[in-house]
Amino acid sequence: MTLFTKENCGKCDKIKKAFDLEKLGINIEVIKPNDPDVLAHLAWHELVDLVEKGALPILVLDDSTHINYELPVRRYLERHIASMNQ
Amino acid sequence: MTSQFDIDIKGFLESSFLDWPGQIATVIFLAGCNFRCPFCHNHGLVLNPNEYPVLNWDDIKARLKKFTGWIDGVVVSGGEPTISKGLPDLIRDIKNCGFKVKLDTNGSRPSVLADLMENGLLDHVAMDIKAPLNEVAYARAAGQPGFLDKVKESLALLQSSGLPFTLRTTVVPGIHTEKDILLMARQLGGVPNWQLQYFNPENALDCSLRKLEPMNRDLFNLLDEKAHQIMEQSA
Amino acid sequence: MTSLQETKLGPVGFQLDDATDIAVFVRSSDDDLKGWNRQRIVDALLRETMIDKDTADLVGQEVETFIRKTKIKFVSAPLIRELVNAKLIELGLEKERRMHTRLGMPVHDVKQLIMQQNKENANIPHGPEATNLTLAENIKKEFAFLNVFNQEVGDAHMAGDIHLHDLGFIDRPYCSGQSLEYIKKFGLSLPNALSLAKPARHAEVLLAHMVKFAAALQSNFAGAIGWDAVNLFFAPYLVELDDRQVKQLAQMLVFEFSQQAVARGGQAIFSDINLYWEVPDHFVDVNAIGPGGEYVENEDPATREEKPYLTYGDFEKQAQRFIWAIFQTYLEGDGAGRPFFFPKPLVHITEKFFKTPGHEEFLKLICQVASEKGNTYFVFDRGNTAKISECCRLSFKLDESDLEDAKTPWRMRYSAIQNVTINLPRLAYRAAGDDTKLMALLREQIELAVEAHLSKRAFIEQLLAAGANGPLSLLCMDHDGQGYLRMQRGSYLIGMVGLNEMIQYHIGAQLHESDEAIRFGLKIIANMKIVADKYRQQHGMHFVLEQTPAESTAYRFAKLDLEQFSEQAKDVIKGDLETNEIYYTNSTLFNIGAEMNPVERIKLEGLFHPLIEAGAITHIWLGEAQPSAESLANFVTKTFRWTKNDQVAFSPEFTSCRKCYRTARGLLDECPYCGSTDLEGITRITGYFTKLSSWNKGKLGELKDRYRNQAVFAKPASTNPAETATG
Repeated sequence: MTLFTKENCGKCDKIKKAFDLEKLGINIEVIKPNDPDVLAHLAWHELVDLVEKGALPILVLDDSTHINYELPVRRYLERHIASMNQ
Repeated sequence: MTSQFDIDIKGFLESSFLDWPGQIATVIFLAGCNFRCPFCHNHGLVLNPNEYPVLNWDDIKARLKKFTGWIDGVVVSGGEPTISKGLPDLIRDIKNCGFKVKLDTNGSRPSVLADLMENGLLDHVAMDIKAPLNEVAYARAAGQPGFLDKVKESLALLQSSGLPFTLRTTVVPGIHTEKDILLMARQLGGVPNWQLQYFNPENALDCSLRKLEPMNRDLFNLLDEKAHQIMEQSA
Repeated sequence: MTSLQETKLGPVGFQLDDATDIAVFVRSSDDDLKGWNRQRIVDALLRETMIDKDTADLVGQEVETFIRKTKIKFVSAPLIRELVNAKLIELGLEKERRMHTRLGMPVHDVKQLIMQQNKENANIPHGPEATNLTLAENIKKEFAFLNVFNQEVGDAHMAGDIHLHDLGFIDRPYCSGQSLEYIKKFGLSLPNALSLAKPARHAEVLLAHMVKFAAALQSNFAGAIGWDAVNLFFAPYLVELDDRQVKQLAQMLVFEFSQQAVARGGQAIFSDINLYWEVPDHFVDVNAIGPGGEYVENEDPATREEKPYLTYGDFEKQAQRFIWAIFQTYLEGDGAGRPFFFPKPLVHITEKFFKTPGHEEFLKLICQVASEKGNTYFVFDRGNTAKISECCRLSFKLDESDLEDAKTPWRMRYSAIQNVTINLPRLAYRAAGDDTKLMALLREQIELAVEAHLSKRAFIEQLLAAGANGPLSLLCMDHDGQGYLRMQRGSYLIGMVGLNEMIQYHIGAQLHESDEAIRFGLKIIANMKIVADKYRQQHGMHFVLEQTPAESTAYRFAKLDLEQFSEQAKDVIKGDLETNEIYYTNSTLFNIGAEMNPVERIKLEGLFHPLIEAGAITHIWLGEAQPSAESLANFVTKTFRWTKNDQVAFSPEFTSCRKCYRTARGLLDECPYCGSTDLEGITRITGYFTKLSSWNKGKLGELKDRYRNQAVFAKPASTNPAETATG
């Protein structure tokens, strides 16, 4: 899984604080305005317009679908952890 | 055979906008046929199916699953699919994957058709009507005698089933006269969905047909119009 | 000069110049014969170059001595000029030679041109007007190299590193998009026109104004002339018309634009009409301009107090009546049942489209047109962002200031100033597998494109500075407080050709062959976008990526690379090397012949579209097949919902009979109506339909390769079934 975040994004920081993303095997990708690799990666996941709209953070799942905004991401990760612990 | 079912898939079109109006459909072509229509354009599948390698159903299925949602249904065509023993298993598998199924058939196996319908395995049927519904004409067009009653039985099945269906006739100069087509219109009177198809001689099974001049388009269009007028009147 | 003697002109009427004693007659560029006068050489050198008088005299004398020695009786002015140029080279005066150079064409080329079809642009027929256009273009092109662009840019074009589009139209901007509101409000009042027309009162007159204005614009722009929301802006004029009259108006609109091949260069106006089923939100509350250029008064006593004028939101039904009639016209085709080539109808599919009553039936109609005739372009404007698309591919999201403009829609006019395309495969050849080098080369090429744009901008600004008395007076016309061409809003297009072949050479897989290839392709385009954005900030100019239509560029680049990089290019170039019908795949498109199902193509090609601001498209080639309109509607709806694809068009193929004037489906050898073999194939070349007889070799090669969504039968023995099965 990959979590797309931005610098100075409060909601992104909240997710980063609330979960041990590294332990969950989630890569963090920080979107910077002039980074072609990140832009290409966003395009690959069809997320360019979502980022333009500011719908961060975005969590891309292993099946290539995605979840965006803080709350849905938080809920998904909580459920994910719960299912891992079972 | 490279599938768990007793079928030989020889051809494949991943997404067709043509074979099932309204749907985005995958078309699979099964080998073998019990007819020998001289105008058949898929005769490779009919006469020499073994020359074509078999496509693996599981591979096709894996491809289809990638397009879940996009692809609405699968058209099972041929050859003549109802002669494949594994047809019901194949269709059941397709349905289990969440796709609708349309069957293309020549109507020669009403019992297979009835079974499939009874088990709710079909969403649409397209059946060929090769010629006017009399023994001689039918045998000539189908290249095989003795199927007329079966075809009539299949037709009756479709008409009483409530299932959406389409009837199709390829108009072949030298096989059908104008009279034949108009007679068929009267015989089929009241069937809502009968399509006349234009014959392309280029790749016909019977090589003598390949030399035929294609039918004049105007004549074909006129015939189509006349036939459908008759049909509406007898409806 | 024997040719001169052949004209049988005697010495009568020659002005013998007293200042010379040599008996040579000069055929001047003023169409007359003059006696020899050395001073003319000196004057020209002093006038045109920075040379000093002594050197000029010296050159004049030496050329005169040479001519005297030859004992020649007649010389032409061009010959003298070249003799002078030869002398300048001898003296090492290269800069002066360039300034003193002469533009023109060899007799042989002119003859060829007059006798034979121009294949660079299939939209130009062959005729005296077309020949004029090409001759003029050739000279302006040479002029552009000498006078507008620096040598580095010029050389890069010649070598095929980049392609500067429409060099023959160096003194015009590239394309223009506008709305009818300008002529509705101001009438047809063009600079230098012989008469002035007040705002139209009737729909037919408005149409006449539109067509004439489009022709005037075509004379001032190189490429497409686009119109925004045509059905909506006509709507206030339709209230009094019955359905039959509305249908007739639709026919007039379509026929007028499709038969306009009588204006500039005998070339049809490359016209786009943007159409909406719904009233776009940004126009709903805008006061509607009606007959006479006045706002339409609200006659409803209940509401007129607070809303004195009707707005476009009140004209939805009229707009729908018109768009319906327009598509009925496309469905019928021309007098021979052929598809109309122009105007191209672009239907905007939006969130609001799906909420507007009647959209199901309308979608079915436009899909039927797509299936039967191919005209419809489906433009996807997702997520409630207002977008307009105008010149051939330029579309963009309306920002704050555009939305402000929308309240006074006559101000909404946009232009792309120039289009420069980068030859991507060549960069891969030069990088030889090195990623860093590849990206560095890419940046270099974009910098060159930016250079070219800066030069073009400076040149156009120079022409505009002459104002109403200058060459671009039409673009300076000022009815609303600003020039017609809003230069500060202009876009500068940076296109690309052959991403597929670039990736194929660089990583060994084509775009359709692996995810890795696609991801690398996205990286290339993302890099292009970011570099273009940087230049945008640096120069305050709107540099945008676009998918170059590359009607001739895809062929030209392939041909040049096959000469200059033959070892590398021969393995990736598409088409037939034997017949020289070769091409590169357009822009970011996937291999034209790859057996990809349309769903996959639309999804995967669509991945690139959000990075390409100035419009992008996926073509689905239909060939002979005539799909079900309902199935296409199904596909279009899913494409809107589930992909990022910007635009899709479906392209059928036709055969039109020159004997019986009937049209049949497919590219046939024999007319199915009358059996004639005197036939004309018709299908979409890039962004428009045209006759195959006018296609260049590269596009003919592509046509053979186009995958037309045929069934895949595992071919007997020779091919690997698994490969065929998975396409």
